[in-house]
Amino acid sequence: MTEDKTLSRRNFLSVATIGIGGLITALLGIPAVAYVVGPALKKQTEQDWIPVGRASKVEIGVPALFKVKIQRKAGWILNEQELSFYILTENGRDFIAMSNVCTHLGCRVRWVENDETFFCPCHNGVFAKDGKVVAGPPPKPLDQVQVKVEDDQLFILGG
Amino acid sequence: MINRIGNWMEDRIGWRAAWEGIFLRKIPKVNWLYTLGSASLFIAINQIVTGILLTLYYVPTPDHAYNTVQFITYELPAGWFIRGLHHYGASAMVILAVLHMLRVIYYGAYKYPREVTWTSGVLLLLVVLGFGFTGYLLPWDQRAFWATTVGTRIAGTAPLVGDFILRVIRGGPELSEVTLARFYGVHVWVLPAVLLLLVGVHMILVIRNGISAPPEAGE
Repeated sequence: MTEDKTLSRRNFLSVATIGIGGLITALLGIPAVAYVVGPALKKQTEQDWIPVGRASKVEIGVPALFKVKIQRKAGWILNEQELSFYILTENGRDFIAMSNVCTHLGCRVRWVENDETFFCPCHNGVFAKDGKVVAGPPPKPLDQVQVKVEDDQLFILGG
Repeated sequence: MINRIGNWMEDRIGWRAAWEGIFLRKIPKVNWLYTLGSASLFIAINQIVTGILLTLYYVPTPDHAYNTVQFITYELPAGWFIRGLHHYGASAMVILAVLHMLRVIYYGAYKYPREVTWTSGVLLLLVVLGFGFTGYLLPWDQRAFWATTVGTRIAGTAPLVGDFILRVIRGGPELSEVTLARFYGVHVWVLPAVLLLLVGVHMILVIRNGISAPPEAGE
């Protein structure tokens, strides 16, 4: 009986069923995974220089809060979103822009004039004037964004 | 290894009897027309999987329905593919179910002892048509809107109760956001529940009674 050694009809059908079934599963499964994780992998939209206000409004040595509105689309809705930044200059020429989002868990920090620090009310995170962590749970300094000045007009790079 | 896992499970849940009953049962010598039921089941599984995927993005309200369908079709990776499978699968489902029914009629397979199998099959065909009718509205484009306007108006032509039926289906006198929401609810909750129940009954009976052999002359 050579039948037993080679592929029997029964085994052939099993293998064919599993093979074709696996192929169909992959054919649907791989696109399905792409479809589900697609929005998670979408790159942040093009960054652009956004005008935020007049550089002369920023007092030397005191972080000033600026707010800009940008349009963002996560899925099918075009949303207007407000971004807030503290902009600081020590000499009137060089500026740094810091996000006001606490690096701990995303609450908003505010500048406390008397203590010369940024304070986050959620878990008592404290940052120095330049964004470095002074106290509390934040793991890293406030995020900085690129900033430039043209004819007294401040721009930040965002999108 | 696989064998050991299989034995471990067998000792605890006794799956081999179910496996043999479903996949290794004896069947009479039949032809390719007898695969139409399995083909319908295959498409039903396809519709369930792709339908669940579509609900991840689809929003059944008038201000979002159309946009979410466009988003799925043109912006998501493979979204056109998932929607396409669901769209064309719907047509295939109706065609295959009808062909399956014609085969059962042609071979007289609806007769004793399979009347209940047949009845559950007829109900399944109605469920499939219900899926088609409710699903057609969901893209919320011109074709969907007017097709459902006409479809519900046809239901409204029934004597005496017609106007009441039309209002119940539309959720009011006009086609509106209420219609869209209830068509969606019926399409993704009510009909799938009924479908699964009936498919379960249908298949248990197919296995219990065995499939009918092609009849021969003089029988």
